[in-house]
Amino acid sequence: MRGRPLPRGDPGYGVERREARLAWWLVSPALAAIVLVALFPLVWTVWESLHLHDLRMPWLGQPFIGLGNYLEAVGDERFRAAMGHTLFFAVVSVTLELALGTMLALAMNRAFRGRGLMRASVLVPWAMPTVVSGLLWKFMFDGDAGIANAALVKVGVLDQPLVWFIRTGFAWVPVILADVWKTTPFVALLLLAGLQNIDASLYEAARIDGASAWRQFRFVTLPLLRPAILVALIFRTLDAFRVFDLIYVMTGGGPGTSTEPIALYTFNSLLQYLRFGYGSALSVIVFVVTFALALVYIRYLGAGLTETKA
Amino acid sequence: MSLRAVSWVPVLLVLACHAAPAGGPVTVIFPSSTLGAEGEVLRRQVARFMKERPDIRVEQRSTPDAADQRHQLYVQWLNAHAGEPDILQLDAIWTPEFAAAEWILPLDRFRPPVDSFFPATIAANSWRGHLYALPWFVDVGMLYWRTDLMDSPPATFDELERDAERARAEKRVRYGLVLQGARYEGLVAVFSEYLGAHGGRILEGGKVTVASPAGVAALTAMRREIYEQGIIPPVALTWHEEEARFAFQNGEAAFMRNWPYPYALMNDSSASRVAGKYAVAPMPGAEGGHPTAALGGAQLAINANSPHPDAAWALVEYLTRPEQMLERARVVGQFPTRRALYDDPRLRDALQVPAAEARAVIERAVPRPVTPVYTQLSELLQVQLHRALTRQVEPAAALRVAAGAMQKLLDRAGLGAGAPVAAR
Repeated sequence: MRGRPLPRGDPGYGVERREARLAWWLVSPALAAIVLVALFPLVWTVWESLHLHDLRMPWLGQPFIGLGNYLEAVGDERFRAAMGHTLFFAVVSVTLELALGTMLALAMNRAFRGRGLMRASVLVPWAMPTVVSGLLWKFMFDGDAGIANAALVKVGVLDQPLVWFIRTGFAWVPVILADVWKTTPFVALLLLAGLQNIDASLYEAARIDGASAWRQFRFVTLPLLRPAILVALIFRTLDAFRVFDLIYVMTGGGPGTSTEPIALYTFNSLLQYLRFGYGSALSVIVFVVTFALALVYIRYLGAGLTETKA
Repeated sequence: MSLRAVSWVPVLLVLACHAAPAGGPVTVIFPSSTLGAEGEVLRRQVARFMKERPDIRVEQRSTPDAADQRHQLYVQWLNAHAGEPDILQLDAIWTPEFAAAEWILPLDRFRPPVDSFFPATIAANSWRGHLYALPWFVDVGMLYWRTDLMDSPPATFDELERDAERARAEKRVRYGLVLQGARYEGLVAVFSEYLGAHGGRILEGGKVTVASPAGVAALTAMRREIYEQGIIPPVALTWHEEEARFAFQNGEAAFMRNWPYPYALMNDSSASRVAGKYAVAPMPGAEGGHPTAALGGAQLAINANSPHPDAAWALVEYLTRPEQMLERARVVGQFPTRRALYDDPRLRDALQVPAAEARAVIERAVPRPVTPVYTQLSELLQVQLHRALTRQVEPAAALRVAAGAMQKLLDRAGLGAGAPVAAR
């Protein structure tokens, strides 16, 4: 690419303009597709969110109510609780996944016999459909027949079987375990790719300088792994923020609504109660929050990642 | 209110007649369950109907069996004012919703024989004085009791608690009473039975009355039976119909609250440990109220935009005839909605449940609140009931929160007490 545009008098000027115009024409189908599939639904959702649109109460019509739906959301205790649950779930599960994923990646990065097999088998939980693994964990933590209760009673941690899914705090345990079990391999794989990009000579140099294993990890591995960690964090946090299927099959948001994440509440508002206006407002809020999160990550962790290297 | 919809019907009829080739049969589209014995029975009945009425062709379509999914599908079709399907199979709690939206036809002009049906089933299908759907079969909440553990069913919850405690003390069963306690519609059905027993109601007119002393007493009783008396296992708070049936069928419980469908299933001694050792009775009563059964079941309604309402009605009328109901009772054990059939010896042979026992329960049946926003009201109530039963809040506080939210919803919908006539 040329650094600066050609001056007007240059013989190549007209050609370049023609080329630019052609380029716009060539990318226009792609742009149109983006507008159609990404921008249009977004604008439509925002538009819906400004209306009272209740499919169950067609006699109310669809009047424009401005920010009414947003105001209702702010005052809605269940919505605020759902935001809290989502935040809690995201922080706990992503932290665990990142910690375990790093360990797993470091282990997989070592040269040992059967490494290929090990790497493939680690991916099995990730390859399983979320609904299936959710049901699996639900059965394991079943109140009566679950293997988790049987094991805990045998070991002596519990006196008698615990009904996990009717206790506010306890219901989170199987949910978070299932999520960590399922997505740690994904994080590990992303980090493994990052690890393999690190030049081995850096470790050699560190060893010659007498750096301990911990200092090598802290001052060589971690900084160079930062881009990979960022990618893993963005993916996982955004996923955790939109968690739906896992909780839908495991607790349905219960007991009461004490494990209901924001995506499940939005789904309920939209497709169970058919409150299109209010549900759209909730969707817009979730979109804004996740978008803001992504921006924050890129701004504070991603310096250097998004800029082209000189 | 549906004058506008009705006035369109002749126009549509004329249009339809012009569109159809002269003399060809009219096609009526009827989505329904096409699975298992129920699907087979219906296919047979539809085939017989078409033989009787060669001018009408019935096209069956399969729909999801899960109530929520079916409801969602219907709402999408009807909201788009689609002319098909012509006939809809509704849950009892949907009729007022669809009627208020003017999505289904009032049936008065076909002069249905309303007096032949159980009054509660007619009440559940009426909205603002008009009948909108014809009851096809009826589901009621019943108390299953073990005939090998006691001589007679309990008439009150006190007796039930005593019997259950004794059966547990004698180590003959693990659980006293099993029921549907998960956070879904089933929990509201169970609660409505406890509530009726204590003399309370969820809704009166446009006013939410669930937080009344009777409501608090009912919910407190349920909670006491779970945590203090240990009659209802806490794990039942995650159960639907089937989990309760498995527990009872395995001989683990002295009592079960459930719908009629397990009755025939549990008499299969290869799968059931209680075959021949149970009977059904109305749910017990308590102080201040009387025994109450939640009313469920299926109804048939006609799409307001159907191009052939008369042909659709002909099929509805055929399917709800006594002979067809008897056949359904015999093959799939569904309770007929026609009262006189319970005196008919043919029903006694057809139904596994003794007809008198069935009738005793149905006479106790009370529709859940008949309102277009029932499903939303129920959702609000489910959450708070479940919060109280899982000990996150006290019963009185839970019901107060539920009642507040429910009243707000009714007022927003223009259906609250003292609201001007909202639905046109």
